[in-house]
Amino acid sequence: MTSPFAGLLFTLVRHRGVKGCMVVDERDGVIVDANLQLGVDGSAMAALAASVYRKARRAAVAAGFGEIAFFELDAEHGRVCAAGRGGLVVVLVAESRVNVGLVRVEMLHALEAFA
Amino acid sequence: MTLSVAAEWVELPLKQFVDEARVRLAVLLYPSGQVLGQFGFGRSVDVMTACALSAAISASSAELGRMVDGTPFTDLHYAGREKQIFLGQVPIAGGSLVLLTVFDDESSLGLVQLFFREFCAVTARAVPSSNAETPALSDDFERELNHNLAVLFGRQ
Repeated sequence: MTSPFAGLLFTLVRHRGVKGCMVVDERDGVIVDANLQLGVDGSAMAALAASVYRKARRAAVAAGFGEIAFFELDAEHGRVCAAGRGGLVVVLVAESRVNVGLVRVEMLHALEAFA
Repeated sequence: MTLSVAAEWVELPLKQFVDEARVRLAVLLYPSGQVLGQFGFGRSVDVMTACALSAAISASSAELGRMVDGTPFTDLHYAGREKQIFLGQVPIAGGSLVLLTVFDDESSLGLVQLFFREFCAVTARAVPSSNAETPALSDDFERELNHNLAVLFGRQ
């Protein structure tokens, strides 16, 4: 059975450098649907990324900046991007060479499916 | 919040787990209900109650799993409005332990499951080999039950 998120996950993972993409429940930090390359620990990524996203969102609200739209974690050997809406978060795991601008647009576009 | 243990080898894994998973309460026990360590409880009677209930729930869900699925259910999660509980089996040589933990919005099910897996790995390495030979219910079970509670709350 295909989930309603299969299409948007496929759209995101086909970008060069993307190692995986997940739709994660923001509160529980568990995977709703995922499309991951071998070697990506999906459940660990989902739990940690959802936690970081939730805290970033709280920080933005506490600072009076409103809702967070998108965040990017830039590490030595890769990037983690997340964007959320309505209790769901799209988490993308990628190599450093990924075109962040492009995947950002795609992720924000994907959020419309969560409305 | 204080962490107290009845056996020295429990301290490191339990401390790591509560620090990283950001849980409110945690208690590690034998399947018989005898406590090994706790975090966040203020009264021994609460630990005793939590252990008795956890042991009963763990045994019931394991048996239910055997009936409906052929194998015991190992982990259980219940989400309340503000607080959630997670009850997991910790495999060790020659048996298992039970970890009950309570968490709120500071943590999440995903984080608890993630750090529970690490807890299981660290505990399996930490548990002394002599522990595996301990019977589920020893002859002086009640005395040991009270002894561990007394150690936890400084009455020993």
